[in-house]
Amino acid sequence: MRPVAVLGVGAAAPSLRMAASEVGAAWGTGAPKGTVALCDADEDTLTLAWQAATDALRSAGIEPAAVSGLWWGTARPPFAEGPSLGFLATALGLGADAGGALYAGSTHAGMEAVSGAWDALAAGHAEVTLVVASDALVPGLGTAGETTTGAAAVALVLGAIPDPTAGRGASGAPRTPVSTDGTDSASPNGAAPPARLVARATRSAPVVDRYRGDGDTATGDVYDARLFREEVFVPLLVEAGRALQGQGTSPDAWAVTDPDGRLGAAVAKRLGGPLAGGDVYPQVGDTGAAAALLALVSAGADDDVGPRTVGAVGYGGGRATAVAAELTRALPGAAALAEVLGRGRRVGYVEALRVRSQLVPMADPIPMGVPPTGAAFVRGNAEMLGLEGARCRACGVISTPPSIHPHCVGCGGSELDVVRLARRGTVQTFVVNQTMPPPFQAPLPLIVVDLDDGARLMVQGSPADAATLGIGDRVTLALRRYALERGVPVYGYKAVRAAPSGDGPGGDGSFGDARLEEKGTAAPAKEGAT
Amino acid sequence: MSWNKVAVVGGGLIKFGELFDQSYEQMAAGAFAAAVGSVDHGIEPSAVDAIIVATQRGTLWGQEGIGGNTVPSALGLSGVACTRVENACPSGSDAFRIGAMAVASGVHDVVLVIGVEKMRDKSTQEGLLARAAAGHPLYNRGETAPVLFAPFATRHMHEFGTTPEMLAAVAVKNHHNGCLDPYAHFRSEVTVEQVLASPPVCTPLRLLDCCPQTDGAAAVILTSAERATEFTDKPVYVAGFGVATDHPYLHEKTTYVGLPATVTASSRAYAMAGVGPDELDMAEVHDCFTITEILDIEDLGFVEKGKGGPASLEGETALDGRIPVNPSGGLLAKGHPIGATGVAQLTECWWQLREEAGERQVSIRRGYALQHNVGGRGSGVSVVNILTRNP
Repeated sequence: MRPVAVLGVGAAAPSLRMAASEVGAAWGTGAPKGTVALCDADEDTLTLAWQAATDALRSAGIEPAAVSGLWWGTARPPFAEGPSLGFLATALGLGADAGGALYAGSTHAGMEAVSGAWDALAAGHAEVTLVVASDALVPGLGTAGETTTGAAAVALVLGAIPDPTAGRGASGAPRTPVSTDGTDSASPNGAAPPARLVARATRSAPVVDRYRGDGDTATGDVYDARLFREEVFVPLLVEAGRALQGQGTSPDAWAVTDPDGRLGAAVAKRLGGPLAGGDVYPQVGDTGAAAALLALVSAGADDDVGPRTVGAVGYGGGRATAVAAELTRALPGAAALAEVLGRGRRVGYVEALRVRSQLVPMADPIPMGVPPTGAAFVRGNAEMLGLEGARCRACGVISTPPSIHPHCVGCGGSELDVVRLARRGTVQTFVVNQTMPPPFQAPLPLIVVDLDDGARLMVQGSPADAATLGIGDRVTLALRRYALERGVPVYGYKAVRAAPSGDGPGGDGSFGDARLEEKGTAAPAKEGAT
Repeated sequence: MSWNKVAVVGGGLIKFGELFDQSYEQMAAGAFAAAVGSVDHGIEPSAVDAIIVATQRGTLWGQEGIGGNTVPSALGLSGVACTRVENACPSGSDAFRIGAMAVASGVHDVVLVIGVEKMRDKSTQEGLLARAAAGHPLYNRGETAPVLFAPFATRHMHEFGTTPEMLAAVAVKNHHNGCLDPYAHFRSEVTVEQVLASPPVCTPLRLLDCCPQTDGAAAVILTSAERATEFTDKPVYVAGFGVATDHPYLHEKTTYVGLPATVTASSRAYAMAGVGPDELDMAEVHDCFTITEILDIEDLGFVEKGKGGPASLEGETALDGRIPVNPSGGLLAKGHPIGATGVAQLTECWWQLREEAGERQVSIRRGYALQHNVGGRGSGVSVVNILTRNP
């Protein structure tokens, strides 16, 4: 199997946490242990995927336009049938020609995404691939899954490693952006990559464990836990792991999917190594398609351990896949994982039901003026998801969005260049809306943001910031779900307060800023003058 | 600028409120009857040879479109020329401006300007709150009407130290004035404490910082100055007007402590009338929210930029203040049936200049009154009309 390089990683967790004991109290079934992460009303598997992928690209130092394609695995994409992959690719700034694939249908989708991206690299059909595994599954009411089902996303930027035995191109130059230094290691800057994926194995069994039928919005666990542990989960995961050993690798530690906080350790023990990423499940619960890769990232966060091999074993839908990763140093971006997992606002069971749309008001939501299938979205979705502005050649002012600005708002000029907007800015002014019809939920900040490139946007803020928001606060634009409109998710950017360090998740969107800087002078800020 | 002088010879409105028992057409007929009845020497309805009707959004009562044919039929004047004007919250004041131009041009002889708006045929949730899409349809979801003005309150407080008490003083004054106006939707006093204790609607604005949703209609009758004496011995004249636009969306504003459209529209109206803000005896301004009146009195030049809050707190805009603002109770107490609002404000100016405003009469010394609206998403359009009783 031809190895591929891991160039950078990213991880994201949603903003809410619930103690499993809340579920026990609600159903009168005692106080189970553990904590699960869950999405707020404006988050879902796509927004988590966007966050993790954005951070992974930045960690790897890869421009979105340089990515050959997006391989995304999520058990349940936001559009059960629809444009999930295209929306995510556009919001990430990938080119319209980006390839890739969406894997879904079970929590095995994350490992399938890795496999697909790896195969594309190995076949020479791609140079740099972006792999994202995410899940934010909704457990059925009263099922055991309520105390275990979490949510998170993980992303890996993978790069091709030239085959040293094959002839180089006519120029003798290595394939971009991954170069070789004459050994079998490679990375964009010529140094050895932080990690390589070197072996992979899959095992399957036709069994029904988790189940969701057409029309079901929540997942049911229909299996006998003891039966499946002994006859399905442990045997399949262990077989897949042992198959790696059969390919000449000998993992020092095992990053194992963990649906209940116990299975991972049991599998690692049988494989003869310590469990890696044991800090993930206790903080965010079962993260489905993301679980095994998140554990791998956790194992790659520590720079002191030295070179080692980690076996990542994922599972879903009766299929287990194991991947062996040779780590030479800490994975770029992995150090942020502890902070990502550790934050989050505690909620009770009722709020969890509400944000998961399992507790809904009788009142009908009032449809938006513009249906998500309407012409305004067909015309404007790419520039909105891609955060585009129209920059005036005469005065430098950026008008947003371009499609409603044939003329510059600053000087009326009509020679405009489409640019990607900066992703960070400062609060010019804001309100906190307390009175809105469904589906909007109060409190909802609405913020006028002065972006760092001089452009200005008015976008929603995060409910979490509502109580303490102030003029002058630094904010980051993050992809969020604005609404479920006639059952269709509608995405847009929210201005989320940046971490105090100024380097929080969401980052500085450096690819956006960089392109503007290349074009020359910064746009003059609009003057407040009356 | 050369134009034939235009006179207001009649004006009237129906009592504003939640008029569940009246149709759009019945409200229009009521306002027209009030205007006809106000003409000192009487007027035959058939004397009207053109109608300009202001209605901002028919969708609030289930009409996607309202052509010029709806109102004449309801007034018994089917066949008369009629055009509907929609120009956001200044629809009524712009209908007046267009009606005045129709007379000034000599094309029309007697013009009825009528504003009619049904706000409460739909539930509050389905009304102006509906869709929460006052802003750009893709970017600005979650924007209800208060979101269009509350950001200015946040910034005004930040830059000038304007306080919630100063905002509340506007509501207290206008509700007091509303008590003296038999046509007002709300006719009860409120205290600063009550305003500050009212529920938050769109922080920093609270419920009593906001105008209500009100049904209403108002009408004025215009004719040339030459013909005015046929109808009245106390005509009021159109001294000047101005309309101005600004970029429509909030993220395109050049300032968040003022509304440039108001500044430009008023400067045009002042220039046309040949007067300045110091020569006004009173003003009816757009107080859809308390902060809006504070912005208005600064942008119209009544007080320095940044001083609107203290001026309101200190009573400069009260009935007996230096420049009485919104003696009718304003949008906050009288109500804001959008198309009718501007026309009702002009009716109030007409009453005040004729010194017929009863308990809320202000002192008329120089003989000028100003009427102002601003609106349209992020206050993208403003209209100012100036009336005078001076021949």
